[in-house]
Amino acid sequence: MNRRRFLAAAGASVALMAISRSARAQEEGPQVNTGAANAPMESERYKPVRLEAKGPAIMDTNARDALEHHLHCQCGCNLDVYTCRTTDFSCEVSPAMHKDVMALVAGGYSAPEIIKAFTAVYGDRVLMAPPASGFDLAAWIAPFGALGAGIALVVLLLRRWHAPAVALVTIDPSTVDATQDEQARLDALVHRDDR
Amino acid sequence: MILIGELSLWVALLMATWGTTVGFAGGFSRRAELIASAERASYATFGFLALAAVGLWTALLRSDFSFRYVASYTSANLPSIYKFTAFWAGQSGSLLLWAFILSGYSAIAVYTNRSRNRELMPYVTATLSAITLFFVMTLCFGSNPYERLDWIPPDGTGLNPQLQNPGMAIHPPNLYLGYIGTAIPFAFAIAALITRKLDAGWLSAVRRWTLISWFFNTTGIILGMWWAYVELGWGGYWAWDPVENASFLPWLVNTAFLHSIMVQEKRGMLRKWNVTLVVSAFLLAIFGTFITRSGVISSVHSFAQSSVGYWFLGFLVIAFAITVYLVSTRLHDLESKAELESLVSREASFLFNNLLLVGIAFAVLWGTLFPILSEAVTNNKITVGPPFFDKVNIPLGLTLLALTGIGPLIAWRRASLANLKRQFTAPVLAGITTGAALLAVGMRDVPALIAYTLCGFVTGTIVQEFWKGVGARRRMYKENPVTALLRLVARNRRRYGGYIVHVGIVILFAAFAGLAFKEEFDVTLKGGDTYEATDPYGNQWRFVSQGVSRYEELNRQTTAVLLDAYRNGKQVGVIKTEKRQYTDSRGVPTFQPATEVGIMEGVRQDVYVVLAGVTGEDTAEMRITFNPLVWWVWYGGMIMAVGGLIVMWPQAERRRAQAGYSTVLQPATHT
Repeated sequence: MNRRRFLAAAGASVALMAISRSARAQEEGPQVNTGAANAPMESERYKPVRLEAKGPAIMDTNARDALEHHLHCQCGCNLDVYTCRTTDFSCEVSPAMHKDVMALVAGGYSAPEIIKAFTAVYGDRVLMAPPASGFDLAAWIAPFGALGAGIALVVLLLRRWHAPAVALVTIDPSTVDATQDEQARLDALVHRDDR
Repeated sequence: MILIGELSLWVALLMATWGTTVGFAGGFSRRAELIASAERASYATFGFLALAAVGLWTALLRSDFSFRYVASYTSANLPSIYKFTAFWAGQSGSLLLWAFILSGYSAIAVYTNRSRNRELMPYVTATLSAITLFFVMTLCFGSNPYERLDWIPPDGTGLNPQLQNPGMAIHPPNLYLGYIGTAIPFAFAIAALITRKLDAGWLSAVRRWTLISWFFNTTGIILGMWWAYVELGWGGYWAWDPVENASFLPWLVNTAFLHSIMVQEKRGMLRKWNVTLVVSAFLLAIFGTFITRSGVISSVHSFAQSSVGYWFLGFLVIAFAITVYLVSTRLHDLESKAELESLVSREASFLFNNLLLVGIAFAVLWGTLFPILSEAVTNNKITVGPPFFDKVNIPLGLTLLALTGIGPLIAWRRASLANLKRQFTAPVLAGITTGAALLAVGMRDVPALIAYTLCGFVTGTIVQEFWKGVGARRRMYKENPVTALLRLVARNRRRYGGYIVHVGIVILFAAFAGLAFKEEFDVTLKGGDTYEATDPYGNQWRFVSQGVSRYEELNRQTTAVLLDAYRNGKQVGVIKTEKRQYTDSRGVPTFQPATEVGIMEGVRQDVYVVLAGVTGEDTAEMRITFNPLVWWVWYGGMIMAVGGLIVMWPQAERRRAQAGYSTVLQPATHT
């Protein structure tokens, strides 16, 4: 096929594809999603987490804020409850979740108990990290397992590569026929790679 | 111009098709005229894509709202600079930028290799043309920036306010330059695999391109961190978001390659590994693009969900399959020429460094994809957020930091005990001294203490290396210390540029460790109210609200709060934090209110104030954060970039040799 024929064929193919394409609408959305979702509070996004009070509060504000860093805001923003509620006032979900946290703290619940209560209502998606149990345990194990396997592979390769020991020959320095200068230059060359 | 641009996109499609076909045909048939034609096609593709890009810029700057893209991402009252940068604000524009940069890189690679690597070049040209062809096809048939609307709207939607930031103007092009830079080494790797020319020749051709990719990836990531920090308002610069992770993956793999390439150059080892790293960096860059554009993973940065992501998935699968076939059929040609002699050697430390870098890349990839896997297996949605990535990556990162200090201290092949003693004494003392000093001043956070101890150790290593080098030059050439230092770096840019990059890494780790001491406060203040807080250094701060003010600017309505800031009783400044409601040219609100963070910057810490909202007339809800050592992130990034530039810069002797002034090349001393 010469160049002209090839160009004609390629041109025809492109034209055919363009025609078929004109029948399809593009699916591209209107804008880049670069911020918090700020979606209106919908029933499937926010769910109340309520428990009967069982005593005086045992957590201070710092511990409560730390706890909120482990709860995933359900507005779709990918942030934790604390960060979302203190970043954008237009999110309605994180303040509502925060109120539930405050009520549970005031009711005398500890951080693990509050996390358990939220998980019971929302499921594991309310946690900022997968639970270390069941299938999700694999999330935690795999990175270290893979690294361990890599190290084991290196050690195995080293054993395989390791050349058989070469018998060292002891040389009487007095028999070496080299001047002191030549010996120094030889040493420098031998140890060049050490630098 | 716009019409020329539109037509040029289609001509570029033809040119890329031609370049791919005749490039491979010329390579397999060894016909010089076909090879030359493929190379000319790569120049032509670049020319036509440049015209296509100029056409889109013209449409954006002229606010030609007959184009869907222009109407979707700009408005009449958008400042011109952001009309210009709206080029990469959306899917199709950013794809055109990809294709344009890729064709430019391809043309440069073809031109600079016009008399080198001739056996590889037909396949390099063809592979690059094939990648360009994929992008141009995606543009023409999947997401065309020149798509016209059925009617012309009076004004456009405008640009997302969070993209109206200088960081966003330069961060995406930098990141694209980094991503796309991985295509050139990939093309050389494919060419070397096809031709079985797998000696060190192809590696020297790709080293500089990998450095270019690494450099832009580094600056792109740092700029992205800066943008997220000043614009998004969640108080940090890295959130382990899937799109952030996607940009980090090629960086990790490129960094691993830049270390392991030294082992192949020096010892002829790790040949399979190096090919795998080069190919992986490119595939991960494409994977990142797939994540960003497919919507399969929820991210705050992602483009609108579209079918384009699946084009990338298809391309990824094809590229992966071809690569696996080529590597698996050439394993014999990739056998190492030497063996690892000892675990206590520089090559072994590079091997472990690679293992950790790739291990971190795996952990990040695994964490990013795990929600999909978990949902597929258990039918439950889960989130893999910062707590997971921090727990997994902190130990790996700290070990990597330790190796940054250990590697340069160990000799090649096999280190002797005397060598180890001589080399390690000062850096270990520096590390112990740093740790002990911080313990003495009251630091009790264990991970931070370990991090700073290791930072001291690595700094000790770097200082020792420079000290020895400068000392040697002073003894040999009787130079003064400054001249000796400058010439030391200039004469061995690769080694000492690398150490400068390590300095940047140390500073970055110090900054990351500083996050352990971050303090946050929820604050509600009326005009005249005062809030008092203590920062991580023990300083007493007092913030006095000047009240809430509301005013209109060019394309927005602004609600602002001014805070007088006092440190230990002395006024140190005024912090302004804003909420902005952007509007179009008719005053209609266009987006959700955007946060404009108030930051009082300092080398020791930033005071970071976010206006969450205003209740009533004058009550501001804010978050005040003391963020220690954030500036160190930007300094560390800048130092890494400078180090990268030094490493990339051609050696003077080599330039002279290439120009024909010298026929003898001295072997370079590599680290």
